[in-house]
Amino acid sequence: MKALLDWLDERAGIRHLWSELADERIPGGARVRYVFGSVLVFLFLQQVVLGILLATYYSPSATDAWASTAYLNDRVTMGWFLRGLHHHGSSAMVVVTVLHFLQTAIAGAYRRPRELNWLSGLAMGGLVLAFALTGYLLPWDQKGYWATQVATGIMGSVPGGEPLRLLLQGGKEYGNLTLTRFYVLHVFVLPLALFALLGGHLALFRRHGVTPPELPKEELERRADRFFPSQLLLDVLAMAVMSAVLVGLTVSTHGAELYAPAQPASSFVARPEWYFLFLFQLLKFFDGPLQIIATVILPGAAATFLVALPFVDRAPTRSPRARLPLLGGVALLMGGVATLTAMALVEDSKNEKYQAGLEAAHAEATRARELAAAGVLPAGGDAVFENDPQVAARRLFQEHCATCHTLQGAPGGAEAPTFVAWRSRAWYRDLIRNARDPRFFGGAKGHDTMEPYPPEELSDERLTAVVEYLVSLTGAEGGTVDAALVETGRKLFADDLECNNCHEVKPGESADGPNLAGNGSRAWVERVIRDSAAPDLFGKSAGMPKFGKKLSDPDIAALADLITAQRPAAAK
Amino acid sequence: MNDGDEKQPGRDGADPARRDLLKTLGIGGVGAGLAAVVGGPAVLFVTYPLDHDTVSGGDGFLPVGRSDQFADGVPVKVDVLADRRDAWNRVVQVKVGSAWVLRDGGVLRAYSTVCPHLGCAVDIDDEAHKFKCPCHRSAFTFAGAVEGGPSPRGMDSLEVQETGGLVALRYQRFRQGVAAKEVI
Repeated sequence: MKALLDWLDERAGIRHLWSELADERIPGGARVRYVFGSVLVFLFLQQVVLGILLATYYSPSATDAWASTAYLNDRVTMGWFLRGLHHHGSSAMVVVTVLHFLQTAIAGAYRRPRELNWLSGLAMGGLVLAFALTGYLLPWDQKGYWATQVATGIMGSVPGGEPLRLLLQGGKEYGNLTLTRFYVLHVFVLPLALFALLGGHLALFRRHGVTPPELPKEELERRADRFFPSQLLLDVLAMAVMSAVLVGLTVSTHGAELYAPAQPASSFVARPEWYFLFLFQLLKFFDGPLQIIATVILPGAAATFLVALPFVDRAPTRSPRARLPLLGGVALLMGGVATLTAMALVEDSKNEKYQAGLEAAHAEATRARELAAAGVLPAGGDAVFENDPQVAARRLFQEHCATCHTLQGAPGGAEAPTFVAWRSRAWYRDLIRNARDPRFFGGAKGHDTMEPYPPEELSDERLTAVVEYLVSLTGAEGGTVDAALVETGRKLFADDLECNNCHEVKPGESADGPNLAGNGSRAWVERVIRDSAAPDLFGKSAGMPKFGKKLSDPDIAALADLITAQRPAAAK
Repeated sequence: MNDGDEKQPGRDGADPARRDLLKTLGIGGVGAGLAAVVGGPAVLFVTYPLDHDTVSGGDGFLPVGRSDQFADGVPVKVDVLADRRDAWNRVVQVKVGSAWVLRDGGVLRAYSTVCPHLGCAVDIDDEAHKFKCPCHRSAFTFAGAVEGGPSPRGMDSLEVQETGGLVALRYQRFRQGVAAKEVI
């Protein structure tokens, strides 16, 4: 071991290098408040490693981004964990950056001769936000897509911002080029810029050292320590706390959320990630021509204040007391950001429309991710919904049924009964009132035997009872029924109205009209699709082809599912 | 580790060098733990393709036509289409290969169109009543046997099935240029 170290030292000077790193003097000794910078370096390096790992599965194109993210998150072993760490890691970087900033401001560490440390730090803070913004779009899910739209929209609204926006998003609209550009920024440009600034920041830090507490020089000297191992141990322990928090967050949220694939035509409840909420809230106060106050003037003023801080600080000592007005400015800034963030959160929590939209978005996300398990068609993320059996069933319906039947959202022919609001109580009522209406059997040849029942012959009250009875014949699928009404209806059906002259209700028995046992149930629908001319169904008068020989069993099942799904949830 | 005793006199009487050693061990231990948080899952993540099919589909029997399309002694070239999975993508009905299908005394036979010699697409010579490879002039009988040219073995037969009026075959690829038929 020693021989190897000697060999390396002779060639690379590793011992000198190590002592350069390890023996850095810390006047006044190791302190917990010096850990933030190290924790940020740790977080950044961890983000780099995690980003490289995610890139082994991620594909930055509008057609692949969502599907590849869903794949790495939901299929690949530990993908959810690594993506979750990366996601929460970005929030952690924002939080620790703010802590580092506050500790530096309070300690007066920005003062001469450390102005450049301060400025490079501010620039890196900006980069952290740029990382967050560019990374957010990459999954190409609803939230990332719409949140980033808000950001680039703001960019386009400031004077001279439009060309910049077009350049950034690679065209007038979001598409493949937006993703490749954001990807290049996120994984090449920003990391390189951050590494360069970090190098400078650390070199400056080593030149000037920590900003020790205000103690007499001798006292600082007496307590002085070296970076290694005392400060490094504190740093590493702080990193461990950070890591534990991240792992805890990641496990408790089961990683980062992935919303449904971006759908440019949808209206998603767009919200930026929490660390941009204050800007979002600020925009609510400044409408129209005043918007520039929120997008340029206020943020610009804040940035100017921060940049100017080391140059306007003329206080005789570093004591916070001596710098109260400046620290007050910092406090005002942070307080403002915190207040705006809180306001945005509170407003959203009270906004029922937003909450409902969010719930719908979660449900859609869950569905999309389930469907993605079967693989997504190359047409792109949104094509995941093609995997939905209902979509396939609709296509079958269009092909085989729509010539005669009509479905909600799929207008078809009027040669056979409609499936719009199918088997609702209103549907039954209208059917009994006039089965010869084009909505029912009016367009079907040979189905004109059933007489209309106008209100003079059948009062609304009695009709309601008969309908209730018919719904009860469906079985469990018909939903809950009013037992008393059913009984009244049964008597009307059998005695007064003599419906049973044409309609049997005992399974299997046939008469002139279809047997109504189980009418409208899934099994009944499937039988009708297979062979509607069965003696106990529509018999010889049936005009519908026998699909039992034309379609496969799964196709018939899918169609029966689609049709029974047309029954309103609470059939009225 | 030299002047530690001056700066931080061991209150508990511990040897400063020993304390530094403990701190170093602490740094090493915690550091290793931090690396493991990402490193452990990373190994499982990156090696996922080793024990999962990332590209799949097309290995079962695939329908290539109706029974009545294939007459005795008349080879018909069919395309073999299959649904494929490629990581996150599902691709519907892509061509995975082609085959010659014919009946031989009523028995259905299928041969891969890939020449066993160097992989050209074997064609048919209707007049000569033979399969011929356009690249190196290998010739095969309709029974698949080599009848001339450099091919080291006969045409590669494929498993074929006939059920419910449909013909299906299992498409496979074989090692080229060797006498033995080995699935690859």
